[in-house]
Amino acid sequence: MFKAFNRWLGLGQGGLMEGEILGINMRNALIQKYNPRHAIERARDKVAAKRALEAAGIACTGTVAVLEDHQQVADFKPTRDMPDAWAIKPARGSQGDGILLAVRREGNTWFKGSGTPLPEDMVMHHIQKVVDGGFSGDSAAEDAALIEPLIIADPALSRIVPEGLPDLRVISLHHTPLMAMVRLPTNESDGKANLHQRAIGAGIDMETGKITRAVVKGTPITHHPDTGVELIGFEIPGWKRVLELASKCGPAVGLGYCGADIVLDVNDGPLVIEVNAHPGIEIQNINQAGLKSRIAATGEDFR
Amino acid sequence: MIARVGQIWANATPQVRRPFYVGLAVAMVLAMLVGLGVANTETFLALPSTFDGVASSQAIWGLKPSNLLMVLPLGSFLVVLARSFIGLKAFGLFTPMLIALAFLQIGPVMGPVVLCSSVLVGMVVTPSLLKLRMTRVGFLGVLISLIVLVLVGLQKLLDTNLQVDAFPVIVCALCVERWWKQWGKDGAKPAAKMALNTFVLAIVIEFVMVSDFAMALIEWSPLLMPATMAVAIAILGRYRGLRLSEIGRFAPIWLERRRKAKAEKSAAREALPEGVEEDRRQGLPDTRRVPEREPAPYRKPELVRLHPSHGLVLAAMAKHPAAMRGVRVMASVAELQDDADRHVSEPIAEREARARLRLVASGGRVMGESGVGWTADRVGPRQLIHNAWVIRKVEDV
Repeated sequence: MFKAFNRWLGLGQGGLMEGEILGINMRNALIQKYNPRHAIERARDKVAAKRALEAAGIACTGTVAVLEDHQQVADFKPTRDMPDAWAIKPARGSQGDGILLAVRREGNTWFKGSGTPLPEDMVMHHIQKVVDGGFSGDSAAEDAALIEPLIIADPALSRIVPEGLPDLRVISLHHTPLMAMVRLPTNESDGKANLHQRAIGAGIDMETGKITRAVVKGTPITHHPDTGVELIGFEIPGWKRVLELASKCGPAVGLGYCGADIVLDVNDGPLVIEVNAHPGIEIQNINQAGLKSRIAATGEDFR
Repeated sequence: MIARVGQIWANATPQVRRPFYVGLAVAMVLAMLVGLGVANTETFLALPSTFDGVASSQAIWGLKPSNLLMVLPLGSFLVVLARSFIGLKAFGLFTPMLIALAFLQIGPVMGPVVLCSSVLVGMVVTPSLLKLRMTRVGFLGVLISLIVLVLVGLQKLLDTNLQVDAFPVIVCALCVERWWKQWGKDGAKPAAKMALNTFVLAIVIEFVMVSDFAMALIEWSPLLMPATMAVAIAILGRYRGLRLSEIGRFAPIWLERRRKAKAEKSAAREALPEGVEEDRRQGLPDTRRVPEREPAPYRKPELVRLHPSHGLVLAAMAKHPAAMRGVRVMASVAELQDDADRHVSEPIAEREARARLRLVASGGRVMGESGVGWTADRVGPRQLIHNAWVIRKVEDV
């Protein structure tokens, strides 16, 4: 009876290995199997993850300040402590919630990429909200605000986007990078590299680092709609280094199955900005390839 | 249509088929249970004060208030099914179950009315609340106060016995907050879809909770329901295949790959000569047989009468004066008169008759009509063909 049920549910001998697409149920099973609770917590907290990554010698984005409580927020003075261009991130934010970017400064006012001015009290209010846990989901009452210098993208990459920072997502199991994509902001996505906001997702060939396929909201494209640059065949600069970073990220934080978010800095080359313990599976639609078959190729038995 | 579905089904991989079977089975069981629950409902529109102090859930479905706790495992089981088999996305993990429980307390129609009105008010008020730049805790506190205000107003307006506890209030407040977050993140459409999912799931759970099946389990023994559900969740909750919604989500991968394969196949076929399915002799000398072209079907020649002064007629007459001797080409009715000058063909030598006279108009077609009988027996096997009607007697006219 139990065995029959197992077979019906696809939990039998061959059932687990069948198919090439990784569904969310199987992804959750993998995360349960390989990502221990404490490692997930560490990955979720950008500050803790950054410490772990830096301890492992992985190149990360820089840090201006970490504000962990109201005392530190009260002592913080943006006009004194902030550079000309910066990014404020909630340490436990998800999906880019609560990230504020300033690209230039005039006197005591900063400006967003869109040109909206950010006076000092607005910046302080944002920091206050971040520390209050306003962007951190339901669980956390308090959060830390992570302030980083703004990353300027590698000119080879920034040439193909109108504005914003393209970032690479590499999904890996243990030390093996499995699948990768690059998220390219568009005018429609307001400079954000978020696929839900109509940024371009472009699948990358793991061997060569060349873009094989580009998609906006499910529609395949060949050229960037805003800049007109041909995307198919574009080679990501420093691809070997990206793969090397991605393969080290998971073990450094303690994750078996993870997605590393990597940006290409103009000076420092590939830098890890974040390690995701629950990487999404939309990357399969963008690469038009199944993750499950690639995971199976690493010798995984899915038990 | 049916053939198309059958074709898709034949091409589906087991990874697609299994979730489909499982999802179908789950959906059927759910539909059955919901039907039972609806059949079990005594009244849809009655307000609680007409029940003489009996709790709504007991008056409407015969579910004792003390047993409300018992149906919770069933609700959680359904949430597990909806999430891991069908892939419905809802606000929060067990929010639909809590909403369903609130519906059971308030009534099948009044429940949704109360929920929707409070959530609606919350949604209208939230933008102005957000402008006040409060902390999240403060925001939630104000939201709860506002929703209670609405609920008290509804109580006064509709029915003082309307049972709106603390816990629908919290559920409503959380729904409103989730709604705004989702709206801000993904836009109005996905947020509305998610809200609808939550609502539909809550209704389904509500009716499954009061179906005969659930009632019988509860009546039998208070332990049976939680135990059964625990075992069922333990078995079904380990499902790791695709969700029903993921078949649709990843269908483009399979479909586009198929389309690409098909396009490649047709491109390969175009490169081969016509009628050859595939090139199995790559690298070998080309000995493929090219099929013979089918002869064009026979078409009866069209007859066209040419004017005697037509260039082609004149040319033909000039070329074969002997063959045309005695032949009169009739161009008008006047020439058919008795006294008109006309000739009858004279026998021609066989050799001359063999020279087939062709009056060509186009495409090499024979354009004439021969005299039928006499040339055949007198002149020989070949018939004289030219553009004129040969008239032997007056009767022929």
